[in-house]
Amino acid sequence: MIAGLVLLAGGAAAGVFGSLLGLGGGILIVPLLTLGFGLPLREAVAVSLVSVIVTSSASAGVYLQRHVANLRLGMVLELFSASGALVGGLVAFLLSEQMLAGLFAGLLIWVAVSMVCRSESAPALAAPAPAADVPEPASPAFIDTLSGPGYRAHSLPLGMAGSLFAGLVSALLGVGGGIIKVPTMHLLMGVPLKVATATSNMMIGITATSSAVIYLLRGQLDPFVAGPTALGVFAGAMIGTRVAHRIDVRVLRWLFVVVLAYTAFQMGQKALGL
Amino acid sequence: MSGVTIATRAAGAQDTAARIETLAARVLTWGTRIALGFVLVGVVGMLLAGVDTIRSAQPPYSLAAIPGQLVALTPEGFLWAGLTLLVALPLGRVVVAGAGFLAAGDRRLVLVAALVLLVIGVSIVAALRLEA
Repeated sequence: MIAGLVLLAGGAAAGVFGSLLGLGGGILIVPLLTLGFGLPLREAVAVSLVSVIVTSSASAGVYLQRHVANLRLGMVLELFSASGALVGGLVAFLLSEQMLAGLFAGLLIWVAVSMVCRSESAPALAAPAPAADVPEPASPAFIDTLSGPGYRAHSLPLGMAGSLFAGLVSALLGVGGGIIKVPTMHLLMGVPLKVATATSNMMIGITATSSAVIYLLRGQLDPFVAGPTALGVFAGAMIGTRVAHRIDVRVLRWLFVVVLAYTAFQMGQKALGL
Repeated sequence: MSGVTIATRAAGAQDTAARIETLAARVLTWGTRIALGFVLVGVVGMLLAGVDTIRSAQPPYSLAAIPGQLVALTPEGFLWAGLTLLVALPLGRVVVAGAGFLAAGDRRLVLVAALVLLVIGVSIVAALRLEA
């Protein structure tokens, strides 16, 4: 019973952090379950994917209702992220636990570094290329139907490649992949950051589903662990959205970077069998 | 193709997408509420039954067995029902969006929706084959 309550609390903490920092809960749930509860990495990844679907569905519902997310662009790109997730979900069963732990440690370091860079160069991220400066796309009709009010998306092939890679990473490591999808849409395709974040949130659901189905049908999803964690993540995300305006996100970001660095160290040790 | 034609076509596509987005939003919002309701009942039942979350043997997953488990009011029945619904929710959103684009005559987006479902279908087949 205590473990169930701790999972609820741990999921809630991951949900709060995730919603305040614009990340899915997966980046914290996998270390929590493997390092905290001693779960095999694949089982932790399966639980994490379910939590990612919860946060994605809940937030995408709101973003779509408010027409912030770009459904058309998201659907085109999620075809590629789902394909990447299919490959990743199958490859995950061929890799050793140590290799997966090593990859996860690498991902944690990358996220930590990108969070430090984001805090130091926020204005650069907030300024996508204006529509007038964008070169004329080869197939104007289709790319224009994927654009939204006030912006025109471009470089669709780059977006497809980024989405494919995001799907692969998501399935291998049980994270949403927003850390790849948002910069891909915003920096490479000229989509405003707010729209890119909302669209990425929506796409994450399909990416996670593509691989979660594999884990579910292969008996790698433990409902006694996934249930409390998913509920906790949902509650945490709700709390995070309500308290966001009262918290200094810069302080929180640095705290999170420290947590990520420590977790990467722990995961690195696991990968090296220490 | 003139700039005006492109702009008109883009505006029309955005109006259609806005209507479909509202529909998809309802599927996701209500689906999440219902699925988490099942999960909540399952977690409460699990805690009341004193199930050891980490050490208990993992109950096997069988889609066909879920209705029976729900009738028997077992915690794992509610958990599996909620988790299955959660995993299926993004697919429901794609189906609804695909149907919306079909009604609007947007064949390219219908094709995209169909391909997304096909990829998920391949995932399911691959998982079952590997399991076998």
